[in-house]
Amino acid sequence: MIEFQNVTFSYANDERAGTVKNLNLRIPDGQIVLLTGASGCGKSTVLRLINGLAPHFYEGKVDGRVSVNGIEPKEAALHELVSVTGSVFQNPRTQFYNVDTTGELAFACENMGMQVEEILKRMEKTVERFRIEKLMDRNIFHLSGGQKQQIACASVDVAEPDVFLLDEPTANLDYQAAKKLKKIIAIWKSAGKTVLIAEHRIAWVWELCDRLIIIKDGEIQSDLGKEEMEKISSKSLIEKQLRTKIEMNPLSLTRGVRSDREISISKLAVSYGKKTSMMKFADLSIPENKITALVGENGAGKTTLLHCMAGIIRKYKAKIEENGNLIPSKRLWKRTFLVMQDVNHQLFTESVLDEVMISMSRENEEKALEILDQVHLKEYAARHPMSLSGGQKQRVAIACAVASDKDILLFDEPTSGLDRHHMELTARLFLALKQMGKTIVIVTHDSELIESCCDAVIPVKEAVYE
Amino acid sequence: MLKFRLDPRTKILLLVLVTAVVLGGVGGNHMQPFVYVLSVLPAAMLLSVGKVRKAMRGMLLILMAYTAQFLLMGKIHGISGFLLLFVTGIWSRLLPGMMMGQYVMETTTVSEFIAAFERMHVPLQLTVPLSVMFRFFPTVKEEFQAINAAMKMRDIRFGGGNMVKAIEYRIVPMLSCSARIGEELSAAALSRGLCGERKRSNVCRIGFGICDRICLVFGAVCVLYGTAAAIGVIS
Repeated sequence: MIEFQNVTFSYANDERAGTVKNLNLRIPDGQIVLLTGASGCGKSTVLRLINGLAPHFYEGKVDGRVSVNGIEPKEAALHELVSVTGSVFQNPRTQFYNVDTTGELAFACENMGMQVEEILKRMEKTVERFRIEKLMDRNIFHLSGGQKQQIACASVDVAEPDVFLLDEPTANLDYQAAKKLKKIIAIWKSAGKTVLIAEHRIAWVWELCDRLIIIKDGEIQSDLGKEEMEKISSKSLIEKQLRTKIEMNPLSLTRGVRSDREISISKLAVSYGKKTSMMKFADLSIPENKITALVGENGAGKTTLLHCMAGIIRKYKAKIEENGNLIPSKRLWKRTFLVMQDVNHQLFTESVLDEVMISMSRENEEKALEILDQVHLKEYAARHPMSLSGGQKQRVAIACAVASDKDILLFDEPTSGLDRHHMELTARLFLALKQMGKTIVIVTHDSELIESCCDAVIPVKEAVYE
Repeated sequence: MLKFRLDPRTKILLLVLVTAVVLGGVGGNHMQPFVYVLSVLPAAMLLSVGKVRKAMRGMLLILMAYTAQFLLMGKIHGISGFLLLFVTGIWSRLLPGMMMGQYVMETTTVSEFIAAFERMHVPLQLTVPLSVMFRFFPTVKEEFQAINAAMKMRDIRFGGGNMVKAIEYRIVPMLSCSARIGEELSAAALSRGLCGERKRSNVCRIGFGICDRICLVFGAVCVLYGTAAAIGVIS
């Protein structure tokens, strides 16, 4: 059983975000609990108080008492908690210590100093239950995000803790990968384990959960049981600023739109790997001055397609036409700007204003400030881009795109890991960009974003030849 | 087919030998025959694990550097000639070490590395930070590729070809990403019970086989010959 008694915590280096106030909570064994709420509401902090990372790693002051199966995490050393709690984190790229999958699975048990025979036996059991035989003995760097998350779950499973803690595990995953994760949670549920999931996207795991806890500003706003969860309407979820509970495959939203101008890309073929294999895409047309979502299964080549359009990949064959006139691929690159999934990779300078200025063909401070005003960042002009929040950084990148006079803006998963409020802000910004005459192309798996702003939804598929 | 597999300790020994003799020039002129052997060895190692392209490319570059030195030696003068000799000299000395390093990084898993260091009774407090390297390099590579892609796409006129700016613009995102990655990696490792105090167990089996013995004998010969030359037994 997990118990919080009058728990208050704030981070030593940031007194506002993620604070938890006077929390009282009791979670019986075997419950699957969904924690949700806006960004910075403190849901991740709750998990960190249980796995001991707060205050052992994320420093701060804990008042009150947290107990997990009778153990107080703040009094125990972190390595003593491995057999009590197991944690899966948000970023699939940064939660591995090993480079190979097999070593990673053994890692936690090795740290406990467990007998080798016992570790191997447990690993075999986990691999069989999770059906991940194909992922064994592989380089983790060569796996997809979804596969990495499966390995992360498997590696905590081998340690056989009683409580599993997942902190936004699907923020970087697509629809299909989230489905696989759901199966793993079902395995834990049937084994009677306690599972806590902190998430913005709640639909994928909704039906498995026994309890929904909504946190607002560090306090519990509502605590709903299974019956109440079934009764809650979509409308009241929106009122509470939460994401939808309805699981929807973005592919099912496929639709076209009429447009007098369009860019068509046909016979696109990209070589990858060691130039031995070619990826061939089905033909598609993108309407201009519209918002288009590109959807498709994992590995269908959505990001590859964006990279070709942005000129990051330049060696490809394609027939590109605009309104029926053939244009060279270079003409397309010159008109596009890509906002990457990890926007940190594309901010280079020391101030927001500089960032916008270096994007202009002729530097013009007045115009740069005007553009910053359009994306509501004028007061941040002198700030360092890295000191901004994720959503603000994204808007800096958008300002750069506007400043560079490009008219086709490409976005790779712009709303991954965003709460409802920020997702809606992004959607509104896309609509404003459309008003400015821009063409917007979004690779996304976020069906709510699609519903709230996209004109066309186009599936990305591999070409099929007879 | 006999599987060519070395113990991590042998790999480390060979790496030290290659860097010391080829790059460091330990032992001076007497060691010249060993320099040639140790320059070819890394390519052979890469070949043994099927990295044909890397082995060929490296070997070709080394050969080119030697050929250039051989042809140019004594024929050219002045600053430009000196520079050319300098560059080819560095090239032929640096590459074998780099290739060997690549071989070690690509064929050793983190747990093998930890197991090997434990057998050598190196304290865990030193092994753990060293083992993080295996993760760190590929991670940095991934980050760098993404940043480069962003630069390519943005086509920014970097301060009119200003080198300092061009480097700065790569370093800024690199640093901020590395700091975040470091924090997330530590949190994950700690939550999986990594600590410097407790005795770990290890699932991977390491040990010396026939290939290791051959390499060790070669290493011993190399060291003995070098010492003998240094104290003047061989002149």
